[in-house]
Amino acid sequence: MPLTDLQDERTAAIIDRLEGEHAPFLSILHEIQDHYGYLPEPALHEVSRRLAIPLADLYGTVTFYHYFRLEDPGPVPDIWMCESSACCLRGIDSLERELASSRQGRPHSGRVVRIPCPGRCDIAVPIFIGEEVFATAEPGAAGDLPVATSALPIETGHEECAFSDIRKEIASLEGYRAVGGYSTLTRAASDPDSAIGELKASGLTGRGGAGFPTGIKWEAVRNESSDLKYIVCNADEGEPGCFKDRCLMDHAPHQMIEGMALAGLVTGAEIGIVYLRYEYPETLRSLQAAIDEAVAAGVIGDDCMGTGRAFHLVIRRGAGAYICGEETSLLNSLEGLHPFPRDKPPFPTTHGLFGRPTVINNVETFATAAVIVRRGGEWFSRLGVGENQGTRIFSVSGDISRPGNYELPIGTPLSTLLNDLAGGAPGGRSIQGVTMAGISGGFVGAEDLDVPLDSGSLAALGGMLGAGGIIVHDDSRCMVSAARASMNFLAHESCGKCFPCRIGTTRATEILDEMRSHAGGGPCPSRDSIGELADLDEVMGEASACGLGLAAPFVTRTLMKYWPDQVRAHLDGTCPKGTCKEART
Amino acid sequence: MIRPPVITIDGVETTFTPGETVLEVTKRLGVAEVPHLCWDERLDPAGSCRLCIVEVEGRRTPGASCTLRAEDGMVIRTASDKLRRMQGHLVQMVLSENPAEVSPRNADVGPTELQQLATDFGVSRDRFLGRESNRSKDDGNPLLLRDYDHCISCYRCVRICDEVEADHAITMTGRGFAKEIATPFDRGLLDSTCTLCGQCVYTCPTGALADKKMVGAAERGAPAAEQKVTRSICPYCGTGCSIDLHSKVDADGTETVIGVTPALDGPVNEGALCIKGQFGFDFVNSGDRLRKPMIRKDGELTEVEWDEALDYTAQRLRSIRDDHGPKAFYSIASGRAPGEGGYMLQKFQRAVMGSNFIDNCSRA
Repeated sequence: MPLTDLQDERTAAIIDRLEGEHAPFLSILHEIQDHYGYLPEPALHEVSRRLAIPLADLYGTVTFYHYFRLEDPGPVPDIWMCESSACCLRGIDSLERELASSRQGRPHSGRVVRIPCPGRCDIAVPIFIGEEVFATAEPGAAGDLPVATSALPIETGHEECAFSDIRKEIASLEGYRAVGGYSTLTRAASDPDSAIGELKASGLTGRGGAGFPTGIKWEAVRNESSDLKYIVCNADEGEPGCFKDRCLMDHAPHQMIEGMALAGLVTGAEIGIVYLRYEYPETLRSLQAAIDEAVAAGVIGDDCMGTGRAFHLVIRRGAGAYICGEETSLLNSLEGLHPFPRDKPPFPTTHGLFGRPTVINNVETFATAAVIVRRGGEWFSRLGVGENQGTRIFSVSGDISRPGNYELPIGTPLSTLLNDLAGGAPGGRSIQGVTMAGISGGFVGAEDLDVPLDSGSLAALGGMLGAGGIIVHDDSRCMVSAARASMNFLAHESCGKCFPCRIGTTRATEILDEMRSHAGGGPCPSRDSIGELADLDEVMGEASACGLGLAAPFVTRTLMKYWPDQVRAHLDGTCPKGTCKEART
Repeated sequence: MIRPPVITIDGVETTFTPGETVLEVTKRLGVAEVPHLCWDERLDPAGSCRLCIVEVEGRRTPGASCTLRAEDGMVIRTASDKLRRMQGHLVQMVLSENPAEVSPRNADVGPTELQQLATDFGVSRDRFLGRESNRSKDDGNPLLLRDYDHCISCYRCVRICDEVEADHAITMTGRGFAKEIATPFDRGLLDSTCTLCGQCVYTCPTGALADKKMVGAAERGAPAAEQKVTRSICPYCGTGCSIDLHSKVDADGTETVIGVTPALDGPVNEGALCIKGQFGFDFVNSGDRLRKPMIRKDGELTEVEWDEALDYTAQRLRSIRDDHGPKAFYSIASGRAPGEGGYMLQKFQRAVMGSNFIDNCSRA
C-alpha cells in the first residue's frame, strides 16, 4: 500500500480550489485539518502528488510544526495552557491540576497540554480550548475564566506614531479613513521615491529585532528588475513577552494593510502575504474582515484607490513554530519547504519568496511606515530621545502593575517605563530584573534599570533590545529558574539545523535544571557547570547559523552577570528565593 | 584586462572562480585543514555542523566556510586559537549526544569521521553530557542498519537520498534536539521509496548507518587472520563503477569477500553504487558459481577446458548459419557488457553471421 499513492477526494477538491492562489501550501494543509481534525495519510499522499512535493519531505515538514496533527485528536479539544516565561510565574503546576477538572462551560478532553508562549503575556495565564481563548487563569480561579479580549495600548503622555490613532476606533475602514488613513497610497503610486525618502529620513529600522533600515530595504527591492515581487508581513509574533503586533492588528489593521500596500506600490510588488501566527485565531478572523473591507472599497485589490495599480493581499496562517519568525524560515514555510533558515546572503531583497525580490517586515514596521509616510520622516525622526530617531513599542508583562503595550521615544530610560508608566512591581515588591527582546535578549538587572531603551545601550550591557518584549521579575523570583524558562523555550523551538543551537540550548537547559534540582535537594552536579555554560555560550554565540542560536547565550551570560550569587547558591544546594523546592527531578 | 578576483586565506593570496565557496578554495589551495561533519563534496553545502567556521576580516562573527561564497578582497583566517577552541568544544558537544559505545561499523571500515575529529582535536566524550538524541530504528530490512543512536542529525543521508539518488525515501522529522531521521509515517525502509542503494551508509560520518551484511562478517565462521581491501570494478553492468572489495583471509589462507564499499575516487561513479553493486556480492562466495565452461554431454553438464568450449561453440554457430541461414540466429547483448562489448557483438552478428538481428537486454 505505501508505495501506491492513496487518493482523497476531499483533499483534491481543496487543492482544486486553492492551488491557483499565492503560496497556498499552508492554507491547503489547514483546510484539510479543519475538515478532518488532523492530516490523514491519504490526504498527504494527495497533497504530495498534486503539489509535487516528495511524500517524505512533506511528512518531515508537517512534523516540524506544533499544530499540524497526524492523528485524530477526537471530538473534544484538549486544554492548552501557556508555560512560557511570563506565565510560569503564575503557579502553572497547580493551575494545570485545577484546569483538568474545571468545567469552563465548554466541552474539553480534560487533558492539559502545555504550549509555548501564545502571545498573551498581558493576560497571563491564557487558556485555549479549541479556537477560543480565555484570560487570566490563576490557581484558585480556573473554573470561570473570562473570554480573552485584546487590550488597547496604554497611554504614555509621549507623542506616538504607530499608536497615534489607535484609540480613535480605526479598526473599521471608515474610522481609519477619518484619521487620514490610506491617503499615502496615491502619493506613493505617483511618487514612490518621496515615500522612500521619508522612510530614510525617519530613521525607521525593522522592529522585528534585526534592525535593518526600512527605507533602504524598500529601495533595494524597488531597484530589482523582476516582473514578480512580493511584500511579506511577518506577523509570526512568537517571542515570549511580545504581544504588540497582535494589538496593532486587532485595533489598527488598516494601518498595517496600508503599510504593506505602500510597500507594494513603492517597489512594484502586486502581491502581499501576511504570515500570521497560528495562536492568533481571533486576529485571523478580524484581519481577514479588514482586508475584505479594503478590497470591497477599492482601497486595495485590482486598482488601489484609482491609481490603476494592483495590490492583492492574503493571509497565510502559520502552524506553530517560533523559528518561522526568522524571515528566511518564514519564506521556506510559505513555500512548503522544511522551515529551516536559509543561508544569507543572498538576502530576501534579491532572492526572497520563490526566489523573487521580497520586502519582508514585521507588523509594527509596516504600521509605523504608513504613519511616517503620511506625517513625514522628519517628524518621526525627532520623536526619539537625544540622537535616537523615533519611537518603538514595548510589551511589558510579568510582575508589573500595568502590563500592556507602550509606545515610547527610543532612548527613554527603562526605569521610566517600568516605574512611572507601568506602575512598578505589584504588592510593594521591588523589581529584581527584566527580560529583554522578549526573552532572547537576556536580562537586565536592578542596577541597570536606568538604561536607555535603544539598541546600542542594551548591546553595551551585553543584551539585546530585539522585538521590545519585557518580562518583569520581582525580588521574590529565582533568576536561575527564569533563565531556565527562557533557555527551555529556545531549546524547544530550536529548528535542529545547526549543531551549536540544537545541542547547546538543550545542554544549557539541562545544566540549569541540574542547578535547580540540586537546590531542591537533588544530587550535586558532577560537572563544572559554570565552565560548561561559558563554553556553550561561546560556541552558540559565535557559530550558530541564525539569530535564535546567536542570541541564546544572552540568557545565561546575563544571568551570570547580574545574579552570580544565586547561581553559586544553587550549586551549593540552596535556592535563595526558596522556589526550587519542587524542582528536584 | 579585468583583474581576476582574489582571496587571502591564512596569508596565502589566490584567485578564485566566482561562485566558489571559501571551503572549496581552501581545499583546492591545500594550505589549511578545515574540519567538517555535514559536508560531502557530492552534496549542496548545508552549513549545519558549523565546524568549518572561519574568521572573515571585518565581520563580527565567524562564517561557515562551506556556505560562504568567496568574495574579492576577502581575508580569511582558518586556524586561530579561538576557532580551534570552539571547534573542539563543538566536537565534544556532538560526542555528548551519542552513546559512549562505538558503533558496530567501526570494526568494518575503521574510525568514523566523528572519531577522527575527536582524535584530531584531542577531545573525548566527557563534557556537556546529558540526554542522548535519536533512537535506533532497526526496521527488519535485510541490508541497511539504522542505528540512529549514533546519529548526529547532519542530514547527509537525507540529502544524498534527495540530491544524488532522487529517491526521497527519508526525511528529518520534528525540531531541535528531537530531530529524527524517518521515512514517511516512520515505517520501515521497505515500505518507502528506498531502493536500498546504500548511499546513505557511505556518507554517514558516524556509523549510525551500516551495511548489515558486513557488520560482524569478519568474525563470522572462520575468524579472520587478516582483512584486505581490493580495488575492483563492479561486474553487474557496463557502467564500470569502482568498488573496494573487502575480504577476510582466515588461518588456513581461504579468502572470502565480506563486503563492498563504493570508491569515492571512482572516476565513473564518484562513490555511487546501486543495490546490486553494493550488496549483491554473495555469488562470489557461492558454491553454485561456475568456475569453468560446461558442455552438456549425454545429457549431463560436464566441465571442459576453454579451448574445447570455444571450438564447440564455433562449430555449432557455423552449422546453424549453414543449415538454417543467417536469419536463424539472433543476438542479444547483455546489459552487463560495456559499449565495446556491444559493438563487438553487433559486428559479429552482421559480419560473421550475416544478419541484422541484434538487440540488447537493457529494457529498464
